[in-house]
Amino acid sequence: MTKAQFRTLERENRFINPPEDKSNFPLLENAVKPHIGSFNALTDDILNLAVKDIGYKTIFDSKDPEKIGPNKLKIRVDSVQIAKPSVPLTDKLSINRNIYPSECRERHSTYKGRLLLKLAWSINDNDEEITEIRDVGQLPIMVQSNRCHLNNLSPNQLVNLREESDELGGYFIVNGIEKLIRMLIVQRRNHPMAIIRPSFGNRGASYSAFGVQLRSVRPDQTSQTNVLHYLNDGNVTFRFSWKKNEYLVPVTLILKALIETSDKEIFDNIVGSDVDNSFLTDRLELLLRTFKNYKLNSNKESVAYLGKKFRIVFNASPDMTDIDVGNEVLNRIVLVHLNDNNDKFKMLCFMIRKLYSLVAGECSPDNPDSTQHQEILLGGFLYGMILKEKIDEYLSNLKLQIQSDINRGIAVNFNDRKYMTRAFSRINENIGQKLQYFLSTGNLVSQSGLDLQQVSGYTVVAEKINFHRFISHFRMVHRGSFFAELKTTTVRKLLPESWGFLCPVHTPDGSPCGLLNHLAHKCEITTENIDTSKIPMQLFKLGVKPNSSSVSIAGQNVCCVQLDGKIIGYCSHKQGKIIADTLRYWKIEDSEKYGIPLSLEIGYVPPSNHGQYPGLYLFGGRSRLIRPVNYLPLNKLDIVGPFEQVFMNIAVIPDEIENNVHSHCEFSPTNILSILANLTPFSDFNQSPRNMYQCQMGKQTMGTPGVALVHRSDNKLYKLQAGQTPIVKANLYDDYGMDNFPNGTNAVVAVISYTGYDMDDAMIINKSTDERGFAYGVVYKVEKIDLSQQRRRNDPITQHFGFGPDETPIEWREKLDEDGLPYIGVHVEEGDPICCYYDEVLGKTKIKTYHSNEPAYIEEVKLLSDDNGNTECQTLSIKYRITRQPLIGDKFSSRHGQKGVCSRKWPQIDMPFSETGIQPDVIINPHAFPSRMTIGMFVESLAGKAGALHGISQDATPWKFSEDDMPADFFGEQLKSAGYNYHGNEPLYSGATGEELRADIYIGVVYYQRLRHMVNDKFQVRSTGPVNSLTMQPVKGRKRHGGIRVGEMERDALIGHGTSFLLQDRLLNCSDYTHTSVCRDCGSLLSTQVSVPRIGGGESIRCRRCSTRIDNKNIGHKSNMIENVDVWEDGTGKRFIGGGNTTTIAIPFVLKYLDSELSAMGISMKYNVEPN
Amino acid sequence: MSKEPQIVIRKAGRDEVDFILSDVELSLANSLRRIMIAEVPTLAIDLVEIQINTSVLADEFIAHRLGLIPLDSEDIDELKYTRDCTCEDHCPKCSVTLELKANCEIDETMNIYSSHFIITSGVGNNLKLGQPIIRDPMRKGILICKLKKHQQLHVKCIAKKGIAKEHAKWSPCSAIGFEYDPYNKLKHTDYWYEESVENEWPKSLNSDWEEPPIPGEKFNYNAKPDKFYINLETTGVLNPNEVFNKGCNELQQKLANVIFELKKLDQQSNTDDNSNINGMDSNINNTHNINQGDDYSNNMGRRTQYGGGGTQYGGGETQYGGGYTQYGGTTQYDDRNRPNRW
Repeated sequence: MTKAQFRTLERENRFINPPEDKSNFPLLENAVKPHIGSFNALTDDILNLAVKDIGYKTIFDSKDPEKIGPNKLKIRVDSVQIAKPSVPLTDKLSINRNIYPSECRERHSTYKGRLLLKLAWSINDNDEEITEIRDVGQLPIMVQSNRCHLNNLSPNQLVNLREESDELGGYFIVNGIEKLIRMLIVQRRNHPMAIIRPSFGNRGASYSAFGVQLRSVRPDQTSQTNVLHYLNDGNVTFRFSWKKNEYLVPVTLILKALIETSDKEIFDNIVGSDVDNSFLTDRLELLLRTFKNYKLNSNKESVAYLGKKFRIVFNASPDMTDIDVGNEVLNRIVLVHLNDNNDKFKMLCFMIRKLYSLVAGECSPDNPDSTQHQEILLGGFLYGMILKEKIDEYLSNLKLQIQSDINRGIAVNFNDRKYMTRAFSRINENIGQKLQYFLSTGNLVSQSGLDLQQVSGYTVVAEKINFHRFISHFRMVHRGSFFAELKTTTVRKLLPESWGFLCPVHTPDGSPCGLLNHLAHKCEITTENIDTSKIPMQLFKLGVKPNSSSVSIAGQNVCCVQLDGKIIGYCSHKQGKIIADTLRYWKIEDSEKYGIPLSLEIGYVPPSNHGQYPGLYLFGGRSRLIRPVNYLPLNKLDIVGPFEQVFMNIAVIPDEIENNVHSHCEFSPTNILSILANLTPFSDFNQSPRNMYQCQMGKQTMGTPGVALVHRSDNKLYKLQAGQTPIVKANLYDDYGMDNFPNGTNAVVAVISYTGYDMDDAMIINKSTDERGFAYGVVYKVEKIDLSQQRRRNDPITQHFGFGPDETPIEWREKLDEDGLPYIGVHVEEGDPICCYYDEVLGKTKIKTYHSNEPAYIEEVKLLSDDNGNTECQTLSIKYRITRQPLIGDKFSSRHGQKGVCSRKWPQIDMPFSETGIQPDVIINPHAFPSRMTIGMFVESLAGKAGALHGISQDATPWKFSEDDMPADFFGEQLKSAGYNYHGNEPLYSGATGEELRADIYIGVVYYQRLRHMVNDKFQVRSTGPVNSLTMQPVKGRKRHGGIRVGEMERDALIGHGTSFLLQDRLLNCSDYTHTSVCRDCGSLLSTQVSVPRIGGGESIRCRRCSTRIDNKNIGHKSNMIENVDVWEDGTGKRFIGGGNTTTIAIPFVLKYLDSELSAMGISMKYNVEPN
Repeated sequence: MSKEPQIVIRKAGRDEVDFILSDVELSLANSLRRIMIAEVPTLAIDLVEIQINTSVLADEFIAHRLGLIPLDSEDIDELKYTRDCTCEDHCPKCSVTLELKANCEIDETMNIYSSHFIITSGVGNNLKLGQPIIRDPMRKGILICKLKKHQQLHVKCIAKKGIAKEHAKWSPCSAIGFEYDPYNKLKHTDYWYEESVENEWPKSLNSDWEEPPIPGEKFNYNAKPDKFYINLETTGVLNPNEVFNKGCNELQQKLANVIFELKKLDQQSNTDDNSNINGMDSNINNTHNINQGDDYSNNMGRRTQYGGGGTQYGGGETQYGGGYTQYGGTTQYDDRNRPNRW
């Protein structure tokens, strides 16, 4: 391990001259390896395996799809190719035809390459195949993958291509946004898992909670889950789902369909030598006896029966026999990881035996929430699965298209190349767009469901708030959104099985707690296919009896040896242990020589009393979690997986090693922590939740998102202006190159209750410190201005950037240059012009204005063209720079989950000072410590102070100190030698009076982070403002200049305090206080109206209901009695008399609304107005 | 006070002076400290006109950096505060203009240092006022920014007189060490220890200058701190002795101000009582506190709160101020030939 150092010059040199060979930070590359490796595997083999698995589509040119036509077309996809991103073929001007990621980020476009399918078809089973290469759209490409231009470039070359010097990749660029497919936890492949799940009982009347589930994975990484259900009468059914529908088949039917077998063979394979076990024999007898009802005796009959039943479901072509369909079912559904039906048969028998053992209580259920039975679904593999399905759909659509042509009577000639080309062009050929949709939304549109439990939330934006957040995206594993809704919390539990694979610290608090985990920093995921072909031979050499022997391999008395879900043979348990140990010794000693890959997982499950089902399970597949540990007998690197780890003895530190107990030892105890958790200094001294909080807050820090910010166009980017390297840092901080992206500032921190402004987690910042630039930051925002948005396609361009010939206000010229674009560096406020354009149609120059209420500077203006680059510029991208100096109300935190809000900037002369004249930059209250127990922060303060005094960097790696060697002593000695108090205390003097403070104060240097939550983004204030037109109450929302609701609880508090005036002020006066008229006679709010003003009389408020209409009939004889003064007119010329007994009252406006709603339902409200 | 204040200089350097101030009240010593940090006027770049900036750094960030560059302020008295000047924005009487024109035409990165500044308009013929302070052996000064080929930085900086209460860039001091009673005889503080005081609390170097406490000595309830070990370290803009001098003057003016105002009040109420002033005289502590309150509260309308009346009482030679001038330039303070006892 390297000692902590600052390495300032080394770093500077690296910045000036980026290395020309390789990155200095291989650990960072490892961090994203699962993503890139899985994507690379697509082009290596997976996609071609996938199209092979899709197979043929058969089309006949007869009108009836059920009938075999005269001509037969068999079409398949021969191979898939993905091109590197390049400019479209229509672009005739570009010399360098490559498209690089930085261009896509800046242009808000997608980093994609052409996807090419080589289609091959034969007519009437002719051997000769006709091929054609079709371009099926542009497929988003993962950055740094083997389809990316950046692959294998040196840091120097990367910098020249406008990337970070250590660009990691692992993400896609979709519409300028960096997106990644997050890793998902799924069941371990090809291993039968015993499960007791009450919901299994819901499948039918006699279904029990017992089941054995196996997630079978094809070589192309698509999976099919098979489940065996135990029925209460002892029967077993086989369940699978196909295109989102579930099917249940008697397991005996599958067994008989797989191979030509007898009842005795089935019995022997399941019961084996345990013929005395009457529990087993009884049930097996029943199993075989009930199948007699089907009257299917031979293998052929069973297959045909199966094919007949699934003919429609599988949409089988009419020329296929039932047996063909049946075999297709067996191939596509049953234990798809195995090729050979004999192997499938044996495995199925093993599963049945395991199920019966589970029911009998001989073995325990396997825990699906334990890492032991889990693996990771990697982004690249998921991408491949979707791609496979889309290619399959493409072929199906082609089939439908041709069939509809036939039905519509269009001349269809398979031999006609022209017809085929036309058929291709008439279907949707844009597969790339579908994957682009998947990446940008994270929604899975699939017919089959891909054997997954969720349809959305697969992708996340790789936010570059700071480097900590960015890098942890790639280490993030999610349990699946299905579990997020689960009420039980068992899935969220931290289990000991995840030791070394998932970080126990780095998980968010709140709703995703325990579901969203992060990989431990040394944990890797296999993405390469490893060669396991020599292993069976080695096993036989070691005494494993082969599979083919008639003696059963089932049962707990023998040790069943399986390799990636294939039964190799059996041996005794004693032998099994020896074989496992030998294999391990061989693979570590010389994996080449023995043909045993190092990453092979050797899971020997010993026989136990009602424990996990025993056996020797070997795994060499993809997607497994693996991690390095030291193998003690050879003192060499071993790679272990979570399945085997449970049964291994791995010492954490060398002191712990016991003879004949431990076979392995950790390389370092910090291997169990994630990258971020490792960066918390002295985290072993903190109360554990505080370390979790720091992992969260480290990701919210305003730090350094990157260096090549000029070549990025993120919507919002935070940057700390003068970040520093921490004095106190873990060694891994340097190994991960975190100094390239500093995240905070070293600050002199005094723990003292000084002014009262440091109460309740508030912190005081020294005003002079602030003035010297402490924690000063900027926010970059990007706005895209697109003139072509309103224009329809192929319409002529009528709007041009720049000033037109017409006259424009002179003020515009203050902000805008001749070209109509803003000056770089100009200050803009709300309403200021940011660009102008001339509208030909209107003949006027128009401007676009700046919308945010926060003033900004123009940082960059980019002119963007369309993909072809041959039309007039219609799109701008303007980057604003918003300065954010620390303000009262901004949030800060140390690296120990100790967050606080700046409450005052205290004048320097009033700050306390030490004998040497040092004044704290930050004051925090001592009450922040007793309940939170963040001793690590004290240690950091001590170490930071000693480091600053001696000019050295301090190593803060956890678990470096012990009870005998305490950090307080180590750093205390350093402080003492510098003439300071051993414990880090100093007598401080009051800045105001100069008097020595009564107590000595703990003061030291702590690394402080400025969090991105700033008052400027949050403050909300309103006196009057917009109201809702229906209720006349203030609208909500900061953006709309709304108010903050005084809710029920706030109301209760005000009532409780007896502050009735305040209550009225809040709920009425400042809300929807209105004057309205009410009729004193009828008590109605709604019947009053304003009369038409008369000459001399003015207007008056009358109740329409209480007044009498004067029409022409009664005007004659009553006219004398009516005094003209009392007559009033409504707006429509109708005349009334009376109804003048109205008055004005103050009500909340919603009352009127309520009254209206009630009256609409026929309920009248009457108000008694007093005093009369 | 019975005794006159004493100063013993232990060490004097270009940017630092270490002295013992004795026979003064704690309040006076601290007032001096506060004033030296925050109220001694100096020169610093206040306005920056950015003509061209094609460097990678943002305008306001460069401006902030420029503000923090220490400029020679020895003859700051020749300069007026802009607020007291008759000019509209700034003029040679109240500002010094520095210019920097940097064009990078070389292939390598070009460093721009504070030594590249040229004073284009200073006060009279004084070429010293406003010169960037340079302390590094290469005589380059402070690195302002770096330029790549074809990048340019043209700035015109207007340096103004100001004090550190307004902004830290005007502070002449980097830090002021301040200690009294190293043996804690007065029991003002509490040297907390775990096992033994001696092992955990290294002795202050200043304790050599005091009598160690005699075990079993009676605690003197009436004792007050009267010996202050001050280490004044400047940023280079002023010599340490000037900082001290100007600090004293500033303090005098403030006190004079208070007394003047009080006297005016007395005259207004026709109770002209001289004893009042004398009472003030013997209780500097009180006066200071009043003064301070004044600074913070009574200046709502004015642009800045300091030295508003300063020009009126200019030289410190008034009858009220006169009594305190002995800390000024005439004491042994300037005597650099004194043997260094540190």
